[in-house]
Amino acid sequence: MIKINNLTFHYSDTDKPALRNINLEIQDGEFVLITGPSGGGKSSLCRCLNGLIPHFYGGEITGKVEVENLDVVEHSTRELATKVGMVFQDPENQLVAMDVDREIAFGLENLGFPRELMVKRIEEALDTVGIAGLRHRAITELSGGEKQRVAIASVLALYPNILVLDEPTSELDPKGAEEVLNVIERLNDELGITVILVEHRLDRVVQHIDRMVVLDDGVIMADGVSRAIISDSKVVRSGVGMPPVIKLIQGLKEKGIKIDNTPLTVKEGRAALAKVFQRRVIARHFPSRRCKAQSAEAIPAQPLIEVKGLWHAYPNGFVALKNINLKVCEGEFVAVMGRNGSGKTTLVKHFNGLLKPTKGSVLVNGINTGETTISKLAKKVGYVFQNPNDHLFADTVEEEIAFTLRNLGFSTTEMKSLIDQVLERFGLMPYRHRYPRSISGGEKQRVALASILVAQPKIIILDEPTRGMEYKLKAELMRFLDEYRKDGKAVILVTQDVETVAEYGDRVIMLSEGKIIVDGSKREVLSQALLFSPQINRLAQSLKSHGVPSDILTADEALTALT
Amino acid sequence: MVSYKYRDKGTAIYRLHPWCKLAWIASVFVLALLFNNPLYLLLFFLSTLPLVLAAKVGREWASLLKFFLFLCLLIIVINALVSNRGSHVLYQASFAIPIMGTPKITLEAILCGVGNSLRLLAIISAFTILMFTIHPDDLMLAMIKARLPYKSVLVTSLSTRFVPALIDDAQCITDVQKCRGLEFEKGGRIQKAKNYMAIGIPLLSNSLDRAVQVAEAMESRAFGSGQNRTFYKELKISRFDAITLACALLPCVVGIAMRCLGQGVYEYYPVLQRISFSHREAIMLIGLVLLLNGLFILAPLKRKVDLD
Repeated sequence: MIKINNLTFHYSDTDKPALRNINLEIQDGEFVLITGPSGGGKSSLCRCLNGLIPHFYGGEITGKVEVENLDVVEHSTRELATKVGMVFQDPENQLVAMDVDREIAFGLENLGFPRELMVKRIEEALDTVGIAGLRHRAITELSGGEKQRVAIASVLALYPNILVLDEPTSELDPKGAEEVLNVIERLNDELGITVILVEHRLDRVVQHIDRMVVLDDGVIMADGVSRAIISDSKVVRSGVGMPPVIKLIQGLKEKGIKIDNTPLTVKEGRAALAKVFQRRVIARHFPSRRCKAQSAEAIPAQPLIEVKGLWHAYPNGFVALKNINLKVCEGEFVAVMGRNGSGKTTLVKHFNGLLKPTKGSVLVNGINTGETTISKLAKKVGYVFQNPNDHLFADTVEEEIAFTLRNLGFSTTEMKSLIDQVLERFGLMPYRHRYPRSISGGEKQRVALASILVAQPKIIILDEPTRGMEYKLKAELMRFLDEYRKDGKAVILVTQDVETVAEYGDRVIMLSEGKIIVDGSKREVLSQALLFSPQINRLAQSLKSHGVPSDILTADEALTALT
Repeated sequence: MVSYKYRDKGTAIYRLHPWCKLAWIASVFVLALLFNNPLYLLLFFLSTLPLVLAAKVGREWASLLKFFLFLCLLIIVINALVSNRGSHVLYQASFAIPIMGTPKITLEAILCGVGNSLRLLAIISAFTILMFTIHPDDLMLAMIKARLPYKSVLVTSLSTRFVPALIDDAQCITDVQKCRGLEFEKGGRIQKAKNYMAIGIPLLSNSLDRAVQVAEAMESRAFGSGQNRTFYKELKISRFDAITLACALLPCVVGIAMRCLGQGVYEYYPVLQRISFSHREAIMLIGLVLLLNGLFILAPLKRKVDLD
């Protein structure tokens, strides 16, 4: 049981409290989801629960946090380790041993458990998270999802009653995230472990949780059962990313269509909508209102990128791309999708010369990438990597952006106006003289993006930019890109985020094992696909018999079609 | 690209007890330092090869040796330039350098560099067994058993654990900055140094972030509790291991004895000494080399003995 009374916490280097007047009581066996915009205090709250705040971080804490009747101020994190298990965001940075079994043993060793007991606990922990088969494997060989399950097992071995997970899936691909969330649900369901989960992927967990706590700006903005919270307009306005099904239902309700209950999942949504249709028989109005594909206009003749018979083999002999042929033209928004290891990143790295074709050719703006350098291509092609921390190194935001321009040989007068423009456009003016690594995550992402876009490349490539990103930042980023594309540039997005592509993309290239399996408009590719279709499309397909067009992809489209 | 990560290749050498391998490496190390006779050093170097081949770490070995061969070349060149001793002058400069005098290159100085390089190569070659065939966690356990403080050992092992991540990170940051049009080889020396800052700073900051996160995770799993720490894996020594261990240490003992008898000493200056052996010395040297290869013979037997 967790009792938090009037908790207020300041980090020592800031004036603004990270948490203000938090009052929260969590019963044994509850499954609590903590969500809210980034910088809202979610991580800080998690760290209060096992005493990392105040013991590890320092700062000023007032109020009381009691976990299993232990005051976290009086008891160290080590003492609390057997009460509260903590799993962090990055699987890479919380594992200390080389092998799976030794990793799980680490906590037990620290607590001085005898060997026989350790063997038993390790066995149990391996089974509980379903990784017994990985027992002797080296950690470095595991996938992200597997690593994160090892991290869970390693805290479970200490028999905690409470499991706190701080964005455990934000660094994972959808499959890995699925594995991890399945395990977490099972732990709560079958073993009755209290789970406190910080998570952005509401669509995946919303039906399993007992309670939702929304933190914004250090205060609890909402707290209650999920069905109540998601229809709270205050929460929706704060930018918590609601799953599309919930958004659609909310929208329909606002338009005055009566829907009993508050469906959370596609299954519930299907049932609820089916009822609505039976009652109102509005199906007849639909067929004429099919959504029009937007990208039907004529494509300009001159392609920006032309790939002909491209093969790529890595030095270790692995053939990552097999006979790729494609063209990307001005004004296109291309999503490159596919499983991990399907060759997505390998493909786009050919577009700016980071990789050279083993066979075949890649022409960018008519220039063969095999015959030029990355820095020459950099003027034409911008490439944004996933982690903004890899970009940033200069003393000020302004310097950071100027760095790219200087490398590309812009003149000083040009630089000044370009920098001002880009700072304005990305809302970075107030940060212009700040140290780029000390600003918040969302702003860092914007600086990284600005530092590429400032040179106004004709083509911009982004590798998994939305992974682990909260809804609001995601929407903002996508709007920027859409605007950029409308200037006659091309945007290429490597992603596994189906919902984002459904909402903002227009062309989808699907790769598998190094081959293009589909290349077409998002409507063709994403509708009626089994795994790669967005929530709303799965809903729409089941309502086909009522005349609902089966190629709608987003909540907004569904709303216009249904009302 | 050769990966320097530990990867169990399942050969008999991997199955050997870490203490035995450590003892053998220590033996090679001591022997290489004891003697300076180039023939001895060459034989020591060659004696490390069967183990390297049997362990199937040849590729890793080769890539490491390639780097050290470069270093050897440097040793030879510098020794030849700096050392003024030796009587077979191959080249005599016509100018003088203050303090150093007129440089001359002698045959003796070159060969002295070659001899010292052999010593370095023998040691490095033996160390590949440590690097690639001993599980890092076992190595850590061995260090703790050797009474080194646990926390220092853990920090060392953690820093090696994160080397692959660091390399990936560096690669990624390099790509990022290249995509921003950075050309590392452009500009003068100061500009070049600045170019590399674009990798250095993000790499350093990312590593510091990583360090904090790891510390936090360790703290959350009761690291540094008051209780006495226990260990999940043990380094149990079977009778066979004990015998192997003795065999691995034997060359060291024999070597010390030989050195006491005044064998294996060589003079490069002023004129190269002729390498000649007494009957007894030859036999002892052959014995020493055989002993050094003892591990190679014993390793495959271990599995059989363990099964019995």
